[in-house]
Amino acid sequence: MRNGDGHLGLRAQGVSVTLGGRSVLRDVSLEANPGEVLALLGPNGAGKSTLLKALAGLLPYEGRVEIAGADVASLSSRARAKRVSYVPQRSLLRSALSVEEVVALGRYVHGGSFGGMSKNDRDAINHALQTAHADVLRDRIFTQLSVGEQQRVLLARALASDAPILLLDEPTAALDVGEGMAVLRLIRTLAARKHTLIVVLHDLADALSTTDRALLLQEGRVVEQGSTGDVVSPKPIRAVYGVKLIENARIGFAPGTDADTGTGTGTGTGTGTGTE
Amino acid sequence: MRLYPLLFLLLLVAGALAVLVGSGDLTDPELRDTFLKLRGYRLAAAFLAGAALAVGGVVVQGLFRNPLASPSVLGTTAGASFGGQVALLTYGLAGVGGSFVVPEMTVPIGCFIGALVSLAVLLLFLRVTQDLLALLLTGFVLSALFLSLSAFVTSVAQETWELGRAVVSFSLGSVSGTGPRQLAFALPLIAVALVACWFWGRSLDLLLSGEEEAQSMGANVGAVRWWSAIWVSVLVAGAVSVGGNVGFVGLVVPHMLRPFAGTKHQRLIPAAALAGGVFLVACDIIARVIPSRSEIPLGVVTGLIGAPLFLLLLIRLRRERAYA
Repeated sequence: MRNGDGHLGLRAQGVSVTLGGRSVLRDVSLEANPGEVLALLGPNGAGKSTLLKALAGLLPYEGRVEIAGADVASLSSRARAKRVSYVPQRSLLRSALSVEEVVALGRYVHGGSFGGMSKNDRDAINHALQTAHADVLRDRIFTQLSVGEQQRVLLARALASDAPILLLDEPTAALDVGEGMAVLRLIRTLAARKHTLIVVLHDLADALSTTDRALLLQEGRVVEQGSTGDVVSPKPIRAVYGVKLIENARIGFAPGTDADTGTGTGTGTGTGTGTE
Repeated sequence: MRLYPLLFLLLLVAGALAVLVGSGDLTDPELRDTFLKLRGYRLAAAFLAGAALAVGGVVVQGLFRNPLASPSVLGTTAGASFGGQVALLTYGLAGVGGSFVVPEMTVPIGCFIGALVSLAVLLLFLRVTQDLLALLLTGFVLSALFLSLSAFVTSVAQETWELGRAVVSFSLGSVSGTGPRQLAFALPLIAVALVACWFWGRSLDLLLSGEEEAQSMGANVGAVRWWSAIWVSVLVAGAVSVGGNVGFVGLVVPHMLRPFAGTKHQRLIPAAALAGGVFLVACDIIARVIPSRSEIPLGVVTGLIGAPLFLLLLIRLRRERAYA
């Protein structure tokens, strides 16, 4: 984190979400701590993204979401956005904004209504661009970037807000191996800087390589919760996905360049899934 | 930035031409003052209406995340015009006969209510679908509805000759008959609304990424939407009440400016105000110099420029698959 202060964790108790009369999420409780990456796992339609949006305050929910003991529902949208930043899988932005302008949007919660940028704003933007390895993209038009580049810029936008808690919705979906690896390494870097990260992931190998703890969802309920190694184990995986977890079925990837500090990447243990 | 010197230069040239060009003879010492005064009012009215409509265009384009939106395309100007006519009619029918005075104050209020109603319908519509073409079609339907309601009001008003004339000339929309009192009421309305729109500019930037992302970045989406709609209604009301019931200004001007001023609202809004004013003053000069027995309505000139541009934009967006 840019400033050493404000390491905040997030706690959810009995969160339920009903969308259009249908119960999508039932009684989910979780805890995420600074310096830790929590994976939200589960098959399509299990409610992973819905849970993430509820935690970000983007959906009405029942139950309680707390940041440092304070009820998130009682915070203004500005106060919430200073603490929690949400990174969508894809941005809906279609206008011709430059990368720097997109990242500057993350500073919205710190500015007044006047357009000017303070030195602090510019520092935060530069720092975020560097952290996300997006500084070379600075003057490019956002909509003309590759999906992987866009993902890094969206991460930079979230970092620019200086929010200690980051919620990432399938950050590696639609990315190629190299791009995906870069994003996973960035996630570990951010955890090493004491960010609190909650990440929706599709790939169980990515979860094993990158996250500390995991929450396995099925049909809106928590099936298993604990260290990622325990959650991604034969019994719950068979129960939820209907597949058999086998050892050494998959060749892992390790970063080809110098590893960042605090990275735990590299799926060398080679745990993978195979259909029965 | 060289954009502003250029815009000010254009304003100077257009302003000078607007005063000098016209059918009146400026060499006649007795009539010169009157001509200059009338042309001055006309220049001010065109500039104010142009500034208001162009900024209105910028804001509704951000509000609906749709580069094809503008107050006239969405039916906002038609709503304002109808509201103004109703205000004229109520004022005229309630007032005791004799000389009919143009009610400078009630007309802008009527225009404001009409504009806000039409924008509110579209905002509520956003909850159902965010589809680009569906939004434009709804705007078109609103526009048609308000035009037929206007026709009804006109036919009612024709029972009184003076009232009928006032309502008809108002609905045609022209800056040629705008007087100092109308300007005095419209100027503060438009000025306040321009500043207010600028203040909402940063929030409108966030809205470009869609409701969910804007909310996650700390914007109060509901407040941004309704306040923007209110200030756009004030702008359109001000423009229509000085006779700027003209189409496509809010579409043409922001589109021409974006390559130079960028997309961020706080840069685009002041530039659009200036450029919109210059654009409408220039259109008014064109309306005056085209040879014709009677003067060509201003809306005809802006329509001839704006309608083809709208189609070009639509085709390009469909090709890029950027929106639809």
